[in-house]
Amino acid sequence: MKTVTIEIDGQTITVEDGATILEAARSAGLDIPTLCHISGVSESRIPCLLCMVEVEGKGRHRSCATSVEEGMKISTRTKELEEFRAHRLQLLADVHYGDCKAPCNLTCPGGINVQGYVNLVARGEYHAALGLIKEKNPLPLSVGRVCPRFCETRCRRILVDEPIAINHLKRFVADYALERGLTEEVGAPATGRRVGIIGGGPAGLSAAYYLRKYGHDVTIFEAENNLGGALRFWIPGYKLPNRVVDREVQSILSMGVHVKTGKRWGQDFTLDDLKTQGYEAIFIATGLHRQKALDIEGGEYAIDGLKFLRDVNEGRHPLIGDQVLVVGGGDIAVDTARSARRLGASNVTVIYPRSRVELSAQQRDIAEAEKEGVQFFLMAMPLRIHRMEGRIRVEMARTILGEPDAKGLRQPEPMPGSRLNWSGECVINATGQEGDGSFRSFGKIESSIQLTPRNTIKSSPSTMATNVPGIYAGGDVASGPRTVIQAVSSGRRAAESIHEFLLSVKTPVEPRFNFSKGKRFEEVDLHNFDGFSIRLSEVMPARPPERRVTDFGEVELGFSEEMARREAGRCLKCGCTGLSKCTFRELSIQYKVNTSAAPSRLRQPIEDSHPFISVDPNKCIACTRCERSCRYDAIDLHFEHGESGHITSVRIRLTERCVSCGACVDACPTGALVKKAVVVPFLPGEAEIVKSVCTYCGTGCGLDLVVTHGAILEVKADGSSPPNYGALCVKGRFGHTFYRHPERLKKPLVREGIDEPFREVGWDEAIRLVAGRFRQIRDAYGSNRIGVLSSSRCTNEENYLLQKFTRGVLGTNNIDNCARV
Amino acid sequence: MGLKVREAVEKGTRLVVIDPRRTEVSSLAEAQEGGIWLRLRPGTNIPLLNGILRVIFEEGLANEEFIRERTEGVDAIKTHVMDYELSQVEEITGVPEDRIRDAARAYANAGTALILYGLGVAEHKGGTAGVMALANLVLATGHVGRPHTGINPLRGQNNVQGACDMGTLPYSLPGYQHTDDEKALKRFARLWNVPELPVDPGLMEPQMYDEALRGNFRGLYVVGYDPAQTQGNVSHVRAALKALDFLVVQDLFLTETARYAHVVLPAACFYEKDGTFTSGERRIRRVHKAVDPPWDARPDWEIVCLISQAMGYPMFYTHPSQIMAELSQVTPPYAGVSYERIEGHGQVWPCPAPDHPGTALLHTERFPIGKGRFVPVSPVFAEEDADRDFPLTLVTGRRLEHYNNASMTRRCEAFDRIAGKEFVEIHPEDAADLGIVDGSSVAVESRRGRVIATARVTERSRPGSVFMTFHFSETPVNILTSPGLDTKTLTPEYKVCAVRVLPDDDSI
Repeated sequence: MKTVTIEIDGQTITVEDGATILEAARSAGLDIPTLCHISGVSESRIPCLLCMVEVEGKGRHRSCATSVEEGMKISTRTKELEEFRAHRLQLLADVHYGDCKAPCNLTCPGGINVQGYVNLVARGEYHAALGLIKEKNPLPLSVGRVCPRFCETRCRRILVDEPIAINHLKRFVADYALERGLTEEVGAPATGRRVGIIGGGPAGLSAAYYLRKYGHDVTIFEAENNLGGALRFWIPGYKLPNRVVDREVQSILSMGVHVKTGKRWGQDFTLDDLKTQGYEAIFIATGLHRQKALDIEGGEYAIDGLKFLRDVNEGRHPLIGDQVLVVGGGDIAVDTARSARRLGASNVTVIYPRSRVELSAQQRDIAEAEKEGVQFFLMAMPLRIHRMEGRIRVEMARTILGEPDAKGLRQPEPMPGSRLNWSGECVINATGQEGDGSFRSFGKIESSIQLTPRNTIKSSPSTMATNVPGIYAGGDVASGPRTVIQAVSSGRRAAESIHEFLLSVKTPVEPRFNFSKGKRFEEVDLHNFDGFSIRLSEVMPARPPERRVTDFGEVELGFSEEMARREAGRCLKCGCTGLSKCTFRELSIQYKVNTSAAPSRLRQPIEDSHPFISVDPNKCIACTRCERSCRYDAIDLHFEHGESGHITSVRIRLTERCVSCGACVDACPTGALVKKAVVVPFLPGEAEIVKSVCTYCGTGCGLDLVVTHGAILEVKADGSSPPNYGALCVKGRFGHTFYRHPERLKKPLVREGIDEPFREVGWDEAIRLVAGRFRQIRDAYGSNRIGVLSSSRCTNEENYLLQKFTRGVLGTNNIDNCARV
Repeated sequence: MGLKVREAVEKGTRLVVIDPRRTEVSSLAEAQEGGIWLRLRPGTNIPLLNGILRVIFEEGLANEEFIRERTEGVDAIKTHVMDYELSQVEEITGVPEDRIRDAARAYANAGTALILYGLGVAEHKGGTAGVMALANLVLATGHVGRPHTGINPLRGQNNVQGACDMGTLPYSLPGYQHTDDEKALKRFARLWNVPELPVDPGLMEPQMYDEALRGNFRGLYVVGYDPAQTQGNVSHVRAALKALDFLVVQDLFLTETARYAHVVLPAACFYEKDGTFTSGERRIRRVHKAVDPPWDARPDWEIVCLISQAMGYPMFYTHPSQIMAELSQVTPPYAGVSYERIEGHGQVWPCPAPDHPGTALLHTERFPIGKGRFVPVSPVFAEEDADRDFPLTLVTGRRLEHYNNASMTRRCEAFDRIAGKEFVEIHPEDAADLGIVDGSSVAVESRRGRVIATARVTERSRPGSVFMTFHFSETPVNILTSPGLDTKTLTPEYKVCAVRVLPDDDSI
């Protein structure tokens, strides 16, 4: 075989004569970007031109279409070439209309693949849905009950009717898995590196979970006797029962986390102590425990709201009387007020100096509180508290907003001349937590940790690293009072950066690159929702207010399976399900393409009539890979280009010649063609490839099963593998969804006679029956009165065992298989 | 496979197709310059093949050197096929004489030529004979033992090859060692730690049904197979299943066969287990577990072990690789196979030793029996012909979209949209004669039963014959199919039976 030697980017490469420059580069592991090239298939009639390279003395050439010549010197990455590629990509980006990731996913502080798990719920794959959630949030039982649902506020379904009840679905899958027994999770092999976590609240637990996943040795130091932090001590049981917190904690500890309870930082140990004991990294996640003081005359007569909530959660029911005033407007205030109602106070008033929309508590909780009889006295503030003979009198004033301060914020102040009186039995200060830098006196390391102006620990929001190497801080102690999901997210980030710190590895950061149909609702073209009919959200079943105020039992009862599937089925699937194959996105990130010039209007409707394939011309980049990968001449593809080089019109039509083999979808490097059965958007590398062999005929085509968390997302084929070399038929590529069909046999079935109904039994009973009856027939009539029919769908090993069983155990050669069909 | 044929045709490979139906593949031949489509009458394979062989000998197209070196019995076959006057062959098969000659020349004169055959050869009363008639063509031309030649049966199901390799046959042990091979039996008995193994050949599947109806066969364990829908002349099979004392069915879904079962065991599908499959090219490849079986379902190998243990035989494995390690000790073609070796592209057997590269090409030097033997083959007539009462011939088969009883494919999303019900394909001339219009509901009746389906008036069907599949349990086409069985293998004669098609009066 004749070879030629060339030089690419200074590297000498010897290749077969006749190879293209692109092939030569790839053979040497060099990557030249291209969008339109498919190896072994004819060139595009509209070349993407990205693979242009500079051949010394010969100018620019398309590397996919230029054969190597002896002595060629080729540059693939000159500044001019890179600029040219960026320009080419920008032309495509300027007409690319779609969402890479869905708004729900982008809005979630935890970065959870919301669209993915919602659609797995819609398909009944609850364990996979839970797995996807736990990639980012190991506390779904809790978050599923208390999250303020950032995601739902951005749900595009709002433009049709109502948002998807995303968090209820999260709770549903977490509860579902809990009821059926949690699946054991295992971490990576032990690394032998020790990490200390101070605080067993949501941030600490989350960090522990992910550190165990990495295989590190983790110990949580908890001042209290129980883990859970705010989940256990502050969030009332009617929202999040302690038995649920127990299960959540247990699921994390079962990963092999060490726990030292009753160990209080500063009292029982210091950071120096932990370092000495071999903890190479420490994550501080103690939360915030100090209630802001009620800085008015008589403020000392107010009960501390945090202490009140804790007492209530631990079953100590403070005497508060019948008439209670709660000062504050956040979650703590509303939780306090609702708890006060449950302790028997008939008249509970929350006083807040601003308007209703400015209440920082969750609006849903406010509505529930009102149903339970809590009153909100807005635009008012306490001025003075008097106590006499066991009764409390509060002087207050209506508020107005003052002049803007230096930051431009208008602070409420008493309306001149306004004087009001409230009298009752109890005032609770629930104005919220504040930072507390007192830990800095605990020890040497502590003293060097920097604080923020709000007295929280200064740590990087992306890595949770403090100014002291090896010391990380997250959750409220660093961020100030925030939500549970934000604490969980900080724990995960801390675990990731601690892992990088310990093993000196760098995990790639997912860039924030995103095409979007509109970040704000008003930017989104409503034609995207043409044809959607109104289907309102499922209503969460809840105990009636008059009943629930009599106890601390959980208010919300959770979705049934049917409700969950119906609700999940409302998802509009905004995020692109072509992400995993989107070379265009990869190159756009690499070449820093600007998405701001992308169109804001849907130019052509999404064509959804094909049984397996959805066609979105708005995402087409005119690479013609679909047309060229089709062996059946079934793609009608037409483009027009404007003078600027932009694509001005696209027609993609799958004609009646289509045999639904799906080759075009797998060849498409964007989301212009996607498989309808792929409902989880995932990035390259986010799913596992499991090698298999098609079971639908004797050809034995190799399959690549794309799998995540026990769900098959799609089926592809490896282009380098015999006998099919990437080709599949409709059954091979699309015929996999039967495995999760509800009619799958679930349990052994038995009956006496074939006219009777079947009865579900356990394996023991079924096997005993089968063995007993076979033995009986064999012993009474002889071995030759029994037979076995085996299957082509059984593996070789199974067929071998079936004949071994027939010959060795039954004692007959009466075995045959389905080959006659 | 069809795609490979299409690609070959695009690259200029000349295609000869023998099929009564205008299939995707016969359309390729029809459209190709030099392509040949022999649209024979159903059930006339053997006269046609003998006619082709006659032309090969008559026109001196045979590979005399190959015949001399590698074959025996050529004189007898020459004499035999000279009886096949092409004019007569044309009359029997409906294929014009000159087309037969063209096909013979195309095949014999090609530098390399490959025969692919499907169930249209095997599923006749003379199925085995038909295969031998094809083999005679191969021997006469020497198109074997070199790359791009040979004769390949296309397996209708994925691991039929492996199932047979593994000895789930009443007459052979794993690796096609005969059940009366005493040395082999001893090896197996020793390995399995049993005192003795049965020597007498067992019952083939159709014999089991016959014996069950006679009261001589009482218990059956059916794994991953649905004969109550997919067997020919299925009423007979159903009656036999009903007559059993005890039937165990192990499957993914409640199949037609499970309706006759006393015990149904929930099995894992191939995404849910580890193991190997062997394809039609004898390539042994790994399947890897991708997802967990649902609920209480378990892989078949685990279930067999449980039953064996409950019957007092210790059968324990923790992973299928251990089973492969065991079977490779006693299955000579698999002796060199292990899970480590077959990751990736797999291994083509025979692979007799761990350092053996596998054998992609068979019969390069000699045939297993030494010389290839020409066997004169005479036509075996179908169990029934079209007649006055049942004037059409029903050919059954499969559609691309569905697999066998379709218990899997019909439960895949959107497959009901591309193939949601049964059609009967009927030629426009026949349809016109019968007053049937496209899309109307019709009754298809044979001497054994009646089914209702939707008429698809199409030139895909040969005049005088109609086509249906057995994918749809609500249209049990095998109620109609013939009681005829291949004389040797007892394969049902799915490809020919006499029917009549009538407008479905009940639907009006």
